[in-house]
Amino acid sequence: MLLLLDILTTAAILFVVSVGLLAIFGVLKIINFAHGAWLTIGAYCAVVAVKMGLNPWAGLPIAFVVGALLGGIAELLIIRPLYRRPLDAILATWGLGIVIGQLITLEFGRDVQLIPNLMSGTIRVLSVDYSVYRLFVLLAALVIGALFALTIEGTRLGLAARAVIMNETLARSLGIDTDRVRLVIFMIGAGLAALAGVLLTPLTSVDPNMGVAWLIGAFMLVMVADTSYLALAAACIVFGGVQVLVSTFVSPVLGGISIAVLAALVLRINSRGFSRA
Amino acid sequence: MTAKLFAASAVTLLLATVAHAADSGPIVIGVPVGLSGANSVVAPSVVQEAQLAVDEINAAGGVLGRKLQLEVADDASGAAGAQKAFDSLIYQKKVDALISMETSAARNAGLPAVGKGHVPYIYTSFYEGHSCNKYMYVDAWVPEQQVPPIIDNFVKDKGAKTYFLIGSDYAFGRGMLGFTRKYIEKVGGKVVGEEYLPMDGADWTPILSKLKDAKPDAIITSTAGGAPNVTLTKQMRAAGINLPYANLAVDEGTAKSMGSDATGIYLSASYVTGIDSPENKKFLDAASKKFGADLKTPNDLSVPEYEAVYLYKLAVEKAGSTDPAKVIESLPTVSFTGPRGEIKMDKEHHAPLTMYLGQVQSDGTVKVAATFKDVDPGDQCPNLK
Amino acid sequence: MPEDAALLDDRPGWGIASEWRAPAAAAAGAALIVWIAPLVLGAFAANVLTRSMLYATLAVTVDLLWGFTGILTFGQAAFFGVGAYATAMTMTSIGSTPAWMAAALALAIVVPMVLGLVVGWLSFYPGSTPLYASVISLVFPIVVTQLVYSGGLLTGSSSGLVGYDTLPLELEGFFRLSGIVMIAVTLAAWVFVRSDAGKLLVAVRDNDVRCAYLGISTKRIQIILMVALAGVAGFTGFIFAHASGVVAPENTGFLFGTQLVIWVALGGRGSLIGSVCAAVAIDYLSASLSGDLPFLWQLVLGAAFVIIIIFLPDGIAGLARTASLAISGSLRQTRVSRVTVAVPRTAADRRATLLKVSGLARSFGSLSVLENINLEIRPGELVSIVGPNGAGKTTLIRCLSDGSEPFKGVVEIAGQSIRGLTPDSVVALGVGRKFQVASIFESLTVAECLRLARTTSETPSGIGSAPILSLPVASVEILRLTGLIDLTGSPAGLLSHGMKQALELAMVLALEPRLILLDEPTAGLTNTERATIGAVLRHLTEEAGYAIILVEHDLDFVREISSRIVVLHQGRLVLDGAVDDVVNSEMVRTIYSGGGHV
Repeated sequence: MLLLLDILTTAAILFVVSVGLLAIFGVLKIINFAHGAWLTIGAYCAVVAVKMGLNPWAGLPIAFVVGALLGGIAELLIIRPLYRRPLDAILATWGLGIVIGQLITLEFGRDVQLIPNLMSGTIRVLSVDYSVYRLFVLLAALVIGALFALTIEGTRLGLAARAVIMNETLARSLGIDTDRVRLVIFMIGAGLAALAGVLLTPLTSVDPNMGVAWLIGAFMLVMVADTSYLALAAACIVFGGVQVLVSTFVSPVLGGISIAVLAALVLRINSRGFSRA
Repeated sequence: MTAKLFAASAVTLLLATVAHAADSGPIVIGVPVGLSGANSVVAPSVVQEAQLAVDEINAAGGVLGRKLQLEVADDASGAAGAQKAFDSLIYQKKVDALISMETSAARNAGLPAVGKGHVPYIYTSFYEGHSCNKYMYVDAWVPEQQVPPIIDNFVKDKGAKTYFLIGSDYAFGRGMLGFTRKYIEKVGGKVVGEEYLPMDGADWTPILSKLKDAKPDAIITSTAGGAPNVTLTKQMRAAGINLPYANLAVDEGTAKSMGSDATGIYLSASYVTGIDSPENKKFLDAASKKFGADLKTPNDLSVPEYEAVYLYKLAVEKAGSTDPAKVIESLPTVSFTGPRGEIKMDKEHHAPLTMYLGQVQSDGTVKVAATFKDVDPGDQCPNLK
Repeated sequence: MPEDAALLDDRPGWGIASEWRAPAAAAAGAALIVWIAPLVLGAFAANVLTRSMLYATLAVTVDLLWGFTGILTFGQAAFFGVGAYATAMTMTSIGSTPAWMAAALALAIVVPMVLGLVVGWLSFYPGSTPLYASVISLVFPIVVTQLVYSGGLLTGSSSGLVGYDTLPLELEGFFRLSGIVMIAVTLAAWVFVRSDAGKLLVAVRDNDVRCAYLGISTKRIQIILMVALAGVAGFTGFIFAHASGVVAPENTGFLFGTQLVIWVALGGRGSLIGSVCAAVAIDYLSASLSGDLPFLWQLVLGAAFVIIIIFLPDGIAGLARTASLAISGSLRQTRVSRVTVAVPRTAADRRATLLKVSGLARSFGSLSVLENINLEIRPGELVSIVGPNGAGKTTLIRCLSDGSEPFKGVVEIAGQSIRGLTPDSVVALGVGRKFQVASIFESLTVAECLRLARTTSETPSGIGSAPILSLPVASVEILRLTGLIDLTGSPAGLLSHGMKQALELAMVLALEPRLILLDEPTAGLTNTERATIGAVLRHLTEEAGYAIILVEHDLDFVREISSRIVVLHQGRLVLDGAVDDVVNSEMVRTIYSGGGHV
């Protein structure tokens, strides 16, 4: 039971952390290597919110808005000139991540920031006591996933985004403003990343480098999922599960690199990853 | 390329000429420290305390009539940065001595330069032990000094027999817990689990689930400082684990940033702010007077730096010069009574220390639960007499 | 027609030596500076520069992979680290006698090369993407670093290894050694990228599909390059382990890998010298500034990196090149090879069936594009495939030339099934394919493009450029008829549309294929050009015994040159017969009357 809960909540955390990256990669075909920096931005939004005397929960909407706005600026200044050079976009966003990390350091210092937990304590689930917060993240992942699905399947923006994913030239010829779609999707992706940053605060230390630890895992999951959020969910459960199982039964050190290695092998065998499954 | 090389060499020559100081000039102490990277949280306090010691000594007339001067360099908390920092300090700034708190990787990376440059080096960070070099002295603790107070206390007061060990997968983590396991088994206890996560690992969930399954009497952790430590503690508390918990890598500052999650943690240190001695009181007063609101909480990594500056001063005075060979000779023979008590690095380049077992209170302060006088560092460097 | 050869190009073939004179002199000068520098430099500068120059050597390998071949890699740091660790671990755990020292050197080169083979195999396979290769190059250092951390006493874990015996060189010695290594590697790289073999790297980057259809296995080239450069990185690691006296996990890490890329990007990818200068300058500066402004320094470097990537993708070196171009006003004249006619391969047996297609079908999901195609072609035939847009003509051509296409049925070239064969292996069976949209190497010259087409028949030199470019008669004919022969030194990217088509055709013919697949070779050409190409094609089939499959819209052109016509309609082969029979048939009129695509 404990194992099952561990797997589910680990998958949920991975999903929350990587869904913003997926949105951007899906539509823009660009890997946002500043994703880790946006996680950090989100967490620091929560820090600022608490310092201003707000409820820690207020960090969630603030982070989404701030993340999206900064994402919009980054899209216009950095991503837009690099659509045709996806490898360069990786590098430019990595550089952007360095810049953001250093700016946060200059403003807040390198210290680990103190931030009150959103919720604490445990709850009895069947036979075991389990962390309330981890269960909350599971719920949050389901809500975010559902909203994401609704947006993609049920709104005009989603329709336009799907059109851009399938055939950009055609989408443009149908009168879809693809530049605008990309901008909005990038903002949503960045906003989701910042939101995930807030959700991470009770689970991890808040410091200028906090995002980097999550970046590679999220990146690999998105590579495997390609453009499909359902595939991402599947990848999170499978790889998260493997990570938990390897950590539990073999070695946590191997577990720590299992996502990266497994994802690389899956891609080697089937370059479309999970998206066809 | 050629133009650049020439430009570089010209600049260097210029710098070298300027930096070259006569014997009447200040005595320069180099402080390579992790201003960036893993140690960046604690580094500012180390620099502050070094500055405090230098200012105090200069105000009292300096050393052999000469002023002390600090040269700080960022080692980026790692090997590559340390090589640059040590090179810069030894060859460019021509320091007379190096006194610094660093990561083991940075210390190791710097040692070849120390040997080549013949510079006395006082290492002021606690570490996993057994690092030996003719030029290096250590005034901070090693596992042999830190672990026994905790285990002895857990055995005596909590009746703890079974232990679960958690660490970051690196030299300090494994070194500390390796010794801990040996010591636990020596006093008749049992280790029911020993787990490591990569240094940058952020998800401790599976390890914590294993811990729950193992049902130990007590937990000992030794992670990399800062982020992993905070992450582990947050997740441990979130999982509802409230067993006796000793953290070998926590300092008062980090404990504060964990907020309520840190409450109840045991730590073992050679310095806590709550030490009740006139020397400590004097030191704390001087520090808060000098730095005011900017004062970084003095801690187990910064106070040894402060004392090491004094130890160096005494060694130079005893040797009668800054000549490295003579200073090296006199360093283990001098003693200084500072905030941590009397320090003398006469045990195979290491120092017997008074250790304090503390417990973090709900307001983030550390309360001393027990004091252990002059704990011996054991055989650290049998080849260095 | 060998007597024509002299007329084709009367420029003298320049000696190889003259081309090398300048770089050799520059290298000798640099070596002299490196030799003298430690005498004038202070110990600090000498120490830092020793490492900087080794990092610069690594930057050269990154530049070769990324700048020239288009493989964005973060993995060179790991190969370097493995080499350094192999050295330090041998010295620490086994011994440091001269014999073990030599063993360490061998290990430091071989182990990274073996790992390079594994990484190469993982990164490059049919259908792999550049992004995927970058992903692997990212995972690799992460795994290596983790192994180092878990290595306990063997690797020294996070503390690294220190205190082992090193080569008995003093500071000066290591400085010179590093400097010589850097200069040697840079010079070797400089010579290689200018050689005929070196052009392969740019060709792979520019157009890997065209490479494959010239019979060149791009994946093999990428893997070989990766293995070789892993060895160079490992060797650099060996020197580093000795020069610095310490190895640490961060020497293997992904962050170091990104740093190398940043240096190359700032210096200028594809410039070699720019990368070297950037690596040395930035590393030296960061050492000098480490005490003063660690965070600001990172910030400035990060911002500069972003700006350079967006606005100056060719880095500082690119800027310098543009500036010098603006001043001198022209490109440096590249040396042009003399074109001669190659000795033709022995004629093929004209009676045997060259191509046999039976029951061929291809579908995309539920959409069936080709159904039950049966076709036989003999040497000397010129078969045109006609049909309206969407009839499946291009798909058919693809199935005939790429055995990795998931088609059903059998395709045999000279009796051998191509199923599962990648395009380069199909080309080796004697198939040449010209694409609908001219597919050439935009950043190479006409002569270089043509030489690449001869890679499989003449192993290109790795150290120079052959003064003579020998091409089959048919290729030379095309060059002469279109006037390309006078443009052999021009960049292919600057040619007109029609010229690009002609160049690609000449490249395909340079393969001396037995079966030539041409997808609308005359699209966009003038009537005269079309007529000349038609004449060449007829000559090829009738006189030289080639077989040609031609996809064409222009029925008049088809009628003029074909020996047979095949009609495709809605994925089916509806007619296959002599020219007049087909052109006058009722069915062709019906098919074409509605579409109007003639």
